[in-house]
Amino acid sequence: MPQSATLTAGAASPETPVGDTPAIRIRGLNHYFGEGELRKQVLFDNNMEIAPGEIVIMTGPSGSGKTTLLTLIGGLRTVQEGSVEVLGHQLHGAAMAKLVDVRRELGFIFQAHNLFQSLTAFRNVRMAAELFSLSGQQASQRITDLLTILGLEQRIHYKPDSLSGGQKQRVAIARALVHRPRLILADEPTAALDEKSGRDVVTLFQRFTREERCTILIVTHDNRILDVADRLVSMVDGRIKSNVLVKVSIEISEFLRHVPLFQQLTPRTLTEVADQMKLEKHAAGTRIVAQGAEGDKFYLIRRGSVEVRRDAGGESRLLATLTEGASFGESALVTGEPRNANVSARQDVEVYTLDKEHFRAVIQASATFEEELRKAIFERH
Amino acid sequence: MPRLHPTPLARSNLTHNLRRLAVALAGIGFAVVLMFMQLGFRSALFDSTVKVVTDLDADLLLVNKAQYALPARLSFDYKRIEQARSCPGVAAVYPLYTETMGTDWKPASDAKPYPIRVLAFNLDDPVFLTPEVRAQAAALGDPDTALIDSRSKKQYGIPKTLDLLRAQRGAELAAQSIRLVGAFPMGTDFANDGNLIMSTANLVKFFPYRNGLGDPLSSVDLGIVRAQAGADLCAVQQALFDRFEGTEVHVYLKQELIDKELDFWDHSTPIGYIFSVGTIMGFVVGVIICYQIIYSDVADHMAEFATLKAMGYRNRYFIGLVLQMSLYLSVVGYVPGLLVSMLLYNWLAHGTGLLLNLTLPEAGLVFALTLGMCAASGCLAVRKVLAADPAELF
Repeated sequence: MPQSATLTAGAASPETPVGDTPAIRIRGLNHYFGEGELRKQVLFDNNMEIAPGEIVIMTGPSGSGKTTLLTLIGGLRTVQEGSVEVLGHQLHGAAMAKLVDVRRELGFIFQAHNLFQSLTAFRNVRMAAELFSLSGQQASQRITDLLTILGLEQRIHYKPDSLSGGQKQRVAIARALVHRPRLILADEPTAALDEKSGRDVVTLFQRFTREERCTILIVTHDNRILDVADRLVSMVDGRIKSNVLVKVSIEISEFLRHVPLFQQLTPRTLTEVADQMKLEKHAAGTRIVAQGAEGDKFYLIRRGSVEVRRDAGGESRLLATLTEGASFGESALVTGEPRNANVSARQDVEVYTLDKEHFRAVIQASATFEEELRKAIFERH
Repeated sequence: MPRLHPTPLARSNLTHNLRRLAVALAGIGFAVVLMFMQLGFRSALFDSTVKVVTDLDADLLLVNKAQYALPARLSFDYKRIEQARSCPGVAAVYPLYTETMGTDWKPASDAKPYPIRVLAFNLDDPVFLTPEVRAQAAALGDPDTALIDSRSKKQYGIPKTLDLLRAQRGAELAAQSIRLVGAFPMGTDFANDGNLIMSTANLVKFFPYRNGLGDPLSSVDLGIVRAQAGADLCAVQQALFDRFEGTEVHVYLKQELIDKELDFWDHSTPIGYIFSVGTIMGFVVGVIICYQIIYSDVADHMAEFATLKAMGYRNRYFIGLVLQMSLYLSVVGYVPGLLVSMLLYNWLAHGTGLLLNLTLPEAGLVFALTLGMCAASGCLAVRKVLAADPAELF
């Protein structure tokens, strides 16, 4: 049985450090709005795990349930079905008081700054600090430091009326950060900002994840900030459609681009293919593909080498030795015939696999690709 | 480690919009004035009614049992005064006569007559506590003289100063010429618009037939009893009870009579009820105004409150916040209301002759009502702030 670690929703990503409690762990999460006849399911069997220190960007069309998911993670709604663990706290079945306790460990940034007009920037941030045991001096120091980092040192004692939109949003960010939360939930934090202010804000997020080891979950439509994400989660119709560690996705795309089969694909399709691929590890000498078996996967070698042998008339003939970046297993998927060769690991091998279903879907999605593929297979024979 | 001193959010939010605060204070101040006026008129009318008793230098009072209220004026026989004098513990007993029948007063012979209440006492008897009466009692010895109540209503045509008053000629009482020799402050009440004080000799002269064909001074309206120094008033009262058992006379302690009189006006007439309803109306108006102010303030800050909830502020914080706001509003709204009420009291006391006094218990009662009013509206507005849902912020 191959050791498998998927990149898709539902299992630990290869990047999750072992023994570290995930910042967020969601299992089988369903959610419904309304009662009785009007009861409508808005979240369907969602699974997700997010490691500490990640910047996660969640996208999806409006009505896809991402906001509902965010409110459930934030302890702002009661979990109905499934498990939601936030910073090690199980929220399913948690009492209201417990939810409030969990919320105090989180930082919330909303689309609107929601600052009290009657209070200065300093006082607004202090309102958040008052929930925690701090001396007046510690709190003042922390608030002043934060506002200074956020470029508001000249505006500390100004009321929101005398601040620009970007400055107000930065005060709201300082308010969310003042108690050093380990998880920040942000809803469209840059929507009200111009490009420059928006960029400043996400740069700050990156800085805080590095310096304060906090996880940030951002729901946004703003594709100008997608590049700061470590992980991209996309939701459609109440389901997590994809959940990708960006670094890995880029790596796979890079491999795929060098495979002749995929060269014609647009970067977008390439990323989609990459998102669907799973990582498998095979020890040296293991057989990965058996001749005569039904074709179920497409393989791309990430590390190591394999040998391809065909059994014919009682002898085994070495057809090829494939190394890093090479792919195999596509012809059985295209033709529907059984595997025409054995593939075994020569050393410890890591391969990315794409199952038949997704492979076919990609093919159908791209007419040119199918053509290319047939041509490629034709040429090989 | 100690928590940070909390930010005074309630105060900041209230003072942030000064225009709205001014409107709030005007509204609450208005309710405060309303309550003060109702309570003030009520106690003024009540105080005025018993003023004639309050002004008497009496420990105990003898009145006719059947007299349910002072204006009912049921008298008793003079011999009861003498009988009381021999009771143990009694130092002195003085008769007081009042007359309201045929007491038409005219400031000049061609003026329109108005009835006035006439009080008469033996000039040797120190009946009144009022310093003006004591000082001018000697002048009442002359025939056809009287002191007039300077707080009597305008229609009596009382000159503004004492000199003018003494120089006035041509005034008539019961169609006889009368000369005013001074003035004293007493005030009007439900039944009487003005008062005169004179000697018993003059009473006899003006009203010789007040007791039919009998001696005009044989029917007494009030008996003023002075106890001996150090005597137990209750024991003296008991002794008098024993003495007058089976007669038409009842004996009251001074305060008892005052209380009985007040109780009559408060409970046996609709007057107390009317002013209570008025006060409640003021209270309700205040609750509505205060609720409007707090509610609109809360409604303006729903997103901010929801954000605080998301951050981990608990419901009890918001309940406290709203109650704090109502407390501030009541305190800050009370002060201008009190000042305006004081001005109005002063003005009305001059205009009506009613005894409008802003007393400490009254001010305390209105303050308590104001607190209650704002707390009640705060409780109504709490539901709004508790409805702030952080889940709707995303």
